[in-house]
Amino acid sequence: MDNLHMDALVVGGGIAGMQSALDLADQGFQVALVEREASIGGRMITLSKVFPTLDCCSCITTPKMSAVTHHPNIHLFTYCEVQSVQEHGAGFDISILQKPRYVDVSKCTGCRDCEYECPITVPNPFDRNLGAYRAIRVPFSTAVPQKAVLDPEYCLWCGKCEQRCPVDAIDFSQQPETFNIEANSIIMATGFDLTPIETKKEYGGGKLHNVIDPLMMERFLAPTGPYGRVLRPGDGKEPGSIAYVQCAGSRDDTLGITYCSRVCCMYAIKQAMLLNGALPLADITIYYMDIRTFGKGYEQFYQNAKAMGVEFVRGKVANINEDADHNPIVKVEMTDTGEIVERTHDLVVLSQGIVPASRPTVSLPLGSDGFISVPSPDSAPCVTKRPGIFVTGTAASPMDIVDSIVSASAAAAEASAYIRENNGRLEVQKEALYV
Amino acid sequence: MNSRVDPNLLHELKKYGAVGIEKCFNCGNCTAVCPLASNEYNFPRSVIRRAQVGQKENLKAQLDPWLCYYCGDCSATCPKDAEPGETMMAARRWLTAQYDWTGLARKFYTSKVWEIGSIVLVSILILFMFVFFSGPMTTDHVALNTFAPVQRIHYGDWVLAAFLSFFLLSNIARMYWLSIGRSRIKIPLSVYVTEAWKLIYHFVTQKQFEKCDEEHKGFFKKARWRNHWLLVSGYVLMFALVVGFLPWFQTDNIYPLWHPQRWLGYYATIVLLYGGAEILWQRIRKENQIHRFSHPSDWIFPILLLLTTASGIMVHTFRYLDLPLATYYTYVIHLMILTPMLVLEVPFGKWSHLAYRPFAIYFQALREKAADQSKVTAGALASTD
Repeated sequence: MDNLHMDALVVGGGIAGMQSALDLADQGFQVALVEREASIGGRMITLSKVFPTLDCCSCITTPKMSAVTHHPNIHLFTYCEVQSVQEHGAGFDISILQKPRYVDVSKCTGCRDCEYECPITVPNPFDRNLGAYRAIRVPFSTAVPQKAVLDPEYCLWCGKCEQRCPVDAIDFSQQPETFNIEANSIIMATGFDLTPIETKKEYGGGKLHNVIDPLMMERFLAPTGPYGRVLRPGDGKEPGSIAYVQCAGSRDDTLGITYCSRVCCMYAIKQAMLLNGALPLADITIYYMDIRTFGKGYEQFYQNAKAMGVEFVRGKVANINEDADHNPIVKVEMTDTGEIVERTHDLVVLSQGIVPASRPTVSLPLGSDGFISVPSPDSAPCVTKRPGIFVTGTAASPMDIVDSIVSASAAAAEASAYIRENNGRLEVQKEALYV
Repeated sequence: MNSRVDPNLLHELKKYGAVGIEKCFNCGNCTAVCPLASNEYNFPRSVIRRAQVGQKENLKAQLDPWLCYYCGDCSATCPKDAEPGETMMAARRWLTAQYDWTGLARKFYTSKVWEIGSIVLVSILILFMFVFFSGPMTTDHVALNTFAPVQRIHYGDWVLAAFLSFFLLSNIARMYWLSIGRSRIKIPLSVYVTEAWKLIYHFVTQKQFEKCDEEHKGFFKKARWRNHWLLVSGYVLMFALVVGFLPWFQTDNIYPLWHPQRWLGYYATIVLLYGGAEILWQRIRKENQIHRFSHPSDWIFPILLLLTTASGIMVHTFRYLDLPLATYYTYVIHLMILTPMLVLEVPFGKWSHLAYRPFAIYFQALREKAADQSKVTAGALASTD
């Protein structure tokens, strides 16, 4: 493949990356969007509703995903990973690995016949491994692009999909390929992972049956979720009592994560509200150290949750154990009364925080918190230490969806200024503006 | 009770070793992990909170610090590294200083000059007493009771015991006043009697300590409690031998090995040597949560103990090797270390905990019984209305 010349390369196709790409493309810049997974959409497409408006997440994300794929100025590269970045004049020479899908995307129509034919069932990471899908599949119902991908780790190479495919798109001979993109600027939108809870042995180290992470609860609450309802994973029972353990991995020096992850209070309150709807008889308790509802409409949202009957208990949960029926038991000092209690719940959600997703290939200085270092967070929150490389969303610091979108537009504006300043030869194609 | 806020209380506790106390944001993690805390005694947070809001008089009344045996779980899991265990440790030192009406405990805990200076002073005093009052040194064979007539030393012991008892008991009286007396809780006399067994029981067994050590398995299970109990047994035994039975213990007769005079002494010596060395070794190693921070008073305690034991062993050895001068000199040195250790550490220092801990459990029981009885009375009154 010949080198592609781009104005900007966006690394990561989550909500921040998509927004940056769209903003730049709308200004007429040519943008490459590189996504590690087989579909764009990132974390947001897996979520249920957004706070504080309780709008449907898919309904916000899916149009953006479609806009990205249909935009004439955006060149989408899914199932790709950035391998290396070299300075090249004022811009960059980026080497990218295309992982084999074993499906010819130019032929695949997304009919899913292969998926229906495939005999192998594998855990579905889109559903946090709570549900299952096939070894060859379209990643999820609203995936963009709607192209199948085959998982070689599980595939038996039985060939049934190949026989079934109406357009002969299955190609077992695909190999990893490397290609280069020259870009005048880069935007890092690599997102986050949950704080690792395996190291917090007081909370069971990930081994308790009915202690789940908040992204699992998002899947339970999403209309496309694995069970279509809220069931606890240990035994499939409908939970009558659900607890949230706040700051599970944030503001905890014992884990080396001293910062507040900013989203956990709000998503816990949001999930509590949605659970009130999904399981009207369930008791919902949120154990917290401080409730931080700083955004527009957030405090009212919190007050609403209280009024709806969600119980808020001030106290850091010290440890979680389980009884013989695998019901989690939390031990906490209710600091408002000084009472030390052990309470049994049916399901516990650890309100895990945000740590940066691993990004070994683009060498950028990191801050002491592990996020990409931003020298002037007050005045230029998207500008990294490497000229021409910008950062947005949770790759920069913990932030919610609203702030990620703001940050994405800010990064696009910074990148736009950088491109114009450093590349006078560029002709902005005004006629190609996407409306 | 005076509820005036003392803004310097936090700062004051820091002088007693409360590292990190200002970092605490009162999440309650420490209290919830604590194997000994309860709803009424919800430490460590109760203590930290009172210190943070400057409730000095209220803190003086607290028994909570004595109910903590420092397993270190709170510090190990504290999300702010606020070292709640160290605050409890500091609170015990601070309370010791509050109970002590002479003000010496405060001086010893907050000033190394005072602490070491006093030890040196008492040592020199003992040296002078030997210079002026000792008997003749027999040099052809060991005659310790000629050099240091046992009856004279024994009187000295009694003076020492009386001194210790007077200060320790008067400090306990102040502890009682601060924690119970001045709050005017009505406690029937019978309760003092019926609960007295707790005082003896916990002094002898240190059972609460055992609950504090649930982490270890197998042989090391309850190892901390066991080591501590052994150390106390050796210490109490040696104290009893010296104060109660010195003429029997310090003698120029050499008893056979199976004689209780010998094996009791050997048992106490071995236990003290092991206990003291273990404490010192752990404090140097700093590997366990509870040994990461050491206040000067934490060092002086095991060092004096080890030096006392070592010099005692030397006296014993020289006597058996029949080296008169060496025996006499080491005997003087032995007393020069032993006396300040007892005089200064027991009523004014770390060793006062041997009294404060069981008394705190006793006072706690008194308070609880009194509260129960007043509930019954209130209930009876209500039913007659």
